[in-house]
Amino acid sequence: MATATAVPRRRNPVMLIRSPLVARALFPVVVVGVWTLIFYGLESQIFPSPARVLDFMWNEVRLETLARSNVYQTFLLSLIRLFTGFAIAVVVGTVIGLAMGLSKSVDAFFHDWVMATLAMPALVWALFAGLVFGFGSLGPILVTAVTGIPYVIVNVREGVRNTPRELFDMATSFGVPRNRMTRHLLLPSLLPFFFAAVRYGFSIGWKGLVLAEVFASDRGAGWMIKYWYDAHRAYAVIGYAFFFVVFALFLEKFVFDRIYARAFRWRPQAGTVEVVEEAAEPSVQQPTIP
Amino acid sequence: MATTLEEQHLRAPSAEEQRLRAQQRRETQRRWFWRIAGYVTVLGVWELVSGWVLAESLLPGPTRIVRTFPEIVNSGRFFLSFGATLTRIGIGFGLAFIGGAVVGMLAQSRWFSNFFRDAVTIGLTSPGLIWALMGLVIWGFKPQGWIFAIFLATFAIVTVNVAEGIRALPKDLLDMAKAFGTPTLRRQREIVIPHLAPYLFTALRFGFSNGWKITVLTEVFSSNKGIGFEMRVSSQLFQLDVFFTWVLSFFVFALILEKLILQKAERRFFRWREDVSVA
Repeated sequence: MATATAVPRRRNPVMLIRSPLVARALFPVVVVGVWTLIFYGLESQIFPSPARVLDFMWNEVRLETLARSNVYQTFLLSLIRLFTGFAIAVVVGTVIGLAMGLSKSVDAFFHDWVMATLAMPALVWALFAGLVFGFGSLGPILVTAVTGIPYVIVNVREGVRNTPRELFDMATSFGVPRNRMTRHLLLPSLLPFFFAAVRYGFSIGWKGLVLAEVFASDRGAGWMIKYWYDAHRAYAVIGYAFFFVVFALFLEKFVFDRIYARAFRWRPQAGTVEVVEEAAEPSVQQPTIP
Repeated sequence: MATTLEEQHLRAPSAEEQRLRAQQRRETQRRWFWRIAGYVTVLGVWELVSGWVLAESLLPGPTRIVRTFPEIVNSGRFFLSFGATLTRIGIGFGLAFIGGAVVGMLAQSRWFSNFFRDAVTIGLTSPGLIWALMGLVIWGFKPQGWIFAIFLATFAIVTVNVAEGIRALPKDLLDMAKAFGTPTLRRQREIVIPHLAPYLFTALRFGFSNGWKITVLTEVFSSNKGIGFEMRVSSQLFQLDVFFTWVLSFFVFALILEKLILQKAERRFFRWREDVSVA
């Protein structure tokens, strides 16, 4: 009796709709549905139908484009700029972040300025870079670096502070040499924060980069979407926006998730460290008064 | 017992205590010394680079900006621009905050949290530029364009923070409420929303700090007033002193609003709750 009622439940259509996977798959369907409704409701000359945008994207993927570089060249160039700029950010940010984490004086010296750069819109750097460096790769690369640096600093500093004090004390009292202490103590506890910094700094750097490409470049993904905007091709702007989304998801899922999985195989809970998105207040470690 | 406590309080500080106090004072002094040294160094380098490394017309120094500030205040467009930008932030981010919070609250249900998952990921990772240009190319200079852009660029930040609060919901209280047959709406009003209040505040702060940036960006492309518009005009006219003065005055304003007013309000608001750690 019990088995007879249990079996058909799995085929129940209501249960199927309620499954999480279907919910996730339903989202794009709903978006396209609403989009189509708006398209027919608006009857605008500019607003494109989903089919028109899809057609544009398909042509771009097949290398048939009206622009001067195709979608692969465009995103490859942006990717190279992003990596170069972010490499600079990681090096500079790690050095300053380590110094700030290890010394209170250095921390006091830089703190307010790091906080200010963190809050500065990338748009400002982008417009400024366009005027100073003209159109080229230098401006976008430097803007990427400048937007990424404070994120790396703040997270690396937090990682140094997060290093367990007792372990340091113990290592000191057992006379462990400094380089071994760095290798076995500082680095492992720093690593999760470092990866969090890289991941979020990367996405911040990317946002800065596309803006810089609009104002300080004549190539690259940001410039290209502005190009289609200037040409008043709404379908192309929306199509390119989808390429942006695909690109970001690609970086997240296939690059960072892989690196994460590899780097934290030995320590599964460490990959989930919370990223620091703003500079914490300068904390003076007060000696307790009895 | 009470007398010993009082005695401890009244008797003169021991040598150890004095030593610790002095150490603490030195620590604070040293911190302030380095902090001021930081200000002097950065401002000094900036002042020197302007005029020596880069032309002063290209990178105006801090003194130049301080001198330009009264000019833009007296130009008559100062309050107009601030007002225009703040109106845009208020409308655009206001709607995004409501929308983001609703989506975050819906995440209590597994179904909805899966339904919106990709939307949130896209909202967090995509540059605001694409929404700004998309809104602009579809709606032109109409308000729908910039509302669309500000909404899509900021709602996900609110959603993520609210969803964070949802994950930390007091399950036992909710279970009890359900067991006693409390209606869903009342459960929301009396358990979920009070619990979420601090998270909503954090969402407001993070959202605002992103919201004003995207707002200024939409003004660069599609406005005839506001901070973004002034930035565009002055950079096109190559008046970088005016450009930096506009940027920095709004930047300082936004920082004061975010760090001093909102953060202080948050602390004040939740003083009575010990379990709330304000991020």
